[in-house]
Amino acid sequence: MGILFTRMFSSLFGNKEARILVLGLDNAGKTTILYRLQMGEVVSTIPTIGFNVETVQYNNIKFQVWDLGGQTSIRPYWRCYFPNTQAIIYVVDSSDTDRLVIAKEEFHAILEEEELKGAVVLIFANKQDLPGALDDAAITEALELHKIKSRQWAIFKTSAIKGEGLFEGLDWLSNTLKSGGG
Amino acid sequence: MFSLLYGLWKYLFTKTEFHVLILGIDKAGKTTFLEKLKSIYLNMESLPPDRIVPTVGLNIGRIEVSNTKLVFWDLGGQPGLRSIWEKYYEEAHAVVFVIDAASPSRFEDSKSSLEKVLRNDDLQGAPLLILANKQQDLAEAVSADELDRYLDLKKLDERVYMFEAVSAYDGLGIKESVEWLVEVMERSKRTEMLRVRAGVTGPASA
Repeated sequence: MGILFTRMFSSLFGNKEARILVLGLDNAGKTTILYRLQMGEVVSTIPTIGFNVETVQYNNIKFQVWDLGGQTSIRPYWRCYFPNTQAIIYVVDSSDTDRLVIAKEEFHAILEEEELKGAVVLIFANKQDLPGALDDAAITEALELHKIKSRQWAIFKTSAIKGEGLFEGLDWLSNTLKSGGG
Repeated sequence: MFSLLYGLWKYLFTKTEFHVLILGIDKAGKTTFLEKLKSIYLNMESLPPDRIVPTVGLNIGRIEVSNTKLVFWDLGGQPGLRSIWEKYYEEAHAVVFVIDAASPSRFEDSKSSLEKVLRNDDLQGAPLLILANKQQDLAEAVSADELDRYLDLKKLDERVYMFEAVSAYDGLGIKESVEWLVEVMERSKRTEMLRVRAGVTGPASA
């Protein structure tokens, strides 16, 4: 898988530093996805400013992960991680129907950020292996993805545990970034 | 007085941005059409057709033609995803409906899908361009006229529409399509309606 990934993303950004944010509520499966991709060591840091950011450096692309939701006091610090972000991967627990409304609100709030205006959006409707998981059309509806009109987006059904759907999504992402992005 | 002049200036010099929806059932060639369009007008390399995966979301293409900005919204056409189309209707200036002219077995699906699009009030007065795509399959593809006869659309009434034979694969008919779109959108009542809604008013009402 690591080799496939190399082929997809190497030379995509030239020598430019690039950033891909992997976001979602806690327990959506973000870290499991990073481990699944086997790109490198996941380094967990808890900076003094008080939120936990996991980073995978892959060539010149930084994948950075943190939980949305909760404490509002630390949110301004999120902005430190926004510059040069080419893409956002938003991970949703498709079986956690109680928290889909919060997932939607957090999602649209982050898209409002000025420095993320140019980033393309890939949504992983994750945990498809769990009973009661909503499919891609239902998650599209619940997250109100149609409100996104000025950037490219795509949604994929995934199961990070089984490793399903992840590479289809990343394939879309690399193609989209290659053909000029949002 | 100033506001009058300002209104006139704004009316004359604000570049209109037209939103064009690309619709059609799955495998019609919507994304390939968009990629070809981008390669022709933006002079960039398009994704090779064999690299294009089914769209499960929104692809966007922005081009500029004779001082007019066009934004193309390409939406996924699989049955489960078609429900999202109507969420984009209100802001669309025109619709491009893509049909695989080399797959007669799916014409019926295209016809019912297109008729549903035309029934929606949110698209009232939107010019419609129907593309008979995949003309590179010479042996299989039907002509634009044949497709017109086959679809036998009743709901067109006063809508401005045109059938065009294209090949998103090799670029046939794409420039003609875009030129037609720009021309009809510039003088359509729907454009005026959307302009008023957006708050850019004409000199008469400034």
